[in-house]
Amino acid sequence: MQLTTEKNGTELTVHVSGEVNTQTAPELANLLNEELPGVQALMLDFAECDYVSSAGLRVLLNTYKQMSASGGFMNLDNVGESLLDVLQNTGLDVVFGVQ
Amino acid sequence: MSEEQVLRIPAELERMDEVLDFVGSLVDAYGVTPQTRTQLRMAMEELYVNVAHYAYPAGDGWAEIRGSVDDGVATFKLIDAGTPFDPLAKPDPDVTLSGEEREIGGLGIYMVKSMVDEVEYAYEDGCNQLTIRKQL
Repeated sequence: MQLTTEKNGTELTVHVSGEVNTQTAPELANLLNEELPGVQALMLDFAECDYVSSAGLRVLLNTYKQMSASGGFMNLDNVGESLLDVLQNTGLDVVFGVQ
Repeated sequence: MSEEQVLRIPAELERMDEVLDFVGSLVDAYGVTPQTRTQLRMAMEELYVNVAHYAYPAGDGWAEIRGSVDDGVATFKLIDAGTPFDPLAKPDPDVTLSGEEREIGGLGIYMVKSMVDEVEYAYEDGCNQLTIRKQL
């Protein structure tokens, strides 16, 4: 998994590439923990990632809770077929903003 | 029926890449869609993580994955000789709750059930045996 970020004021975009699995999910969690303070709009770009296991969903759910608690929002962009399936099956497509 | 392929490794989280490669390579020969391939690998990740984390509380142990494809149906069996545990017995999480009410855990096995056609648990010959089947 590779992560690249773009920050523009209170907006943060994280491009996720590769697979978010049990072994890589902590990396995503760490990056978000470091970058999230002060962020009001978080975009997670999944154009290059179609594999997010439950370990990754936990990170997304935690992040969503953090963002809502601080009055911000989170969007998942460029969600592919496999990831959309996972989100729909777990009902998380209606929780997160998905595009 | 394809010849059954077997991977036997120490049941450690660090070996997960090998497990996922084993599942991916086995079905690659059958021209699977990327989505089916991902679903099978992800289902195996969820099951294997449980074994690596919980099967051997006292220390080291092994895990074995047996895979085959028969009439377009992939079958993978994950076996361990650890503590008897049926992960399928757990009630499914409520996936209709709002984000704030959602629990962080409990999604993995639920995902397995939704990603494959069949999932079965048996305790036989002193081993946990989890079987997943999916039409390719």
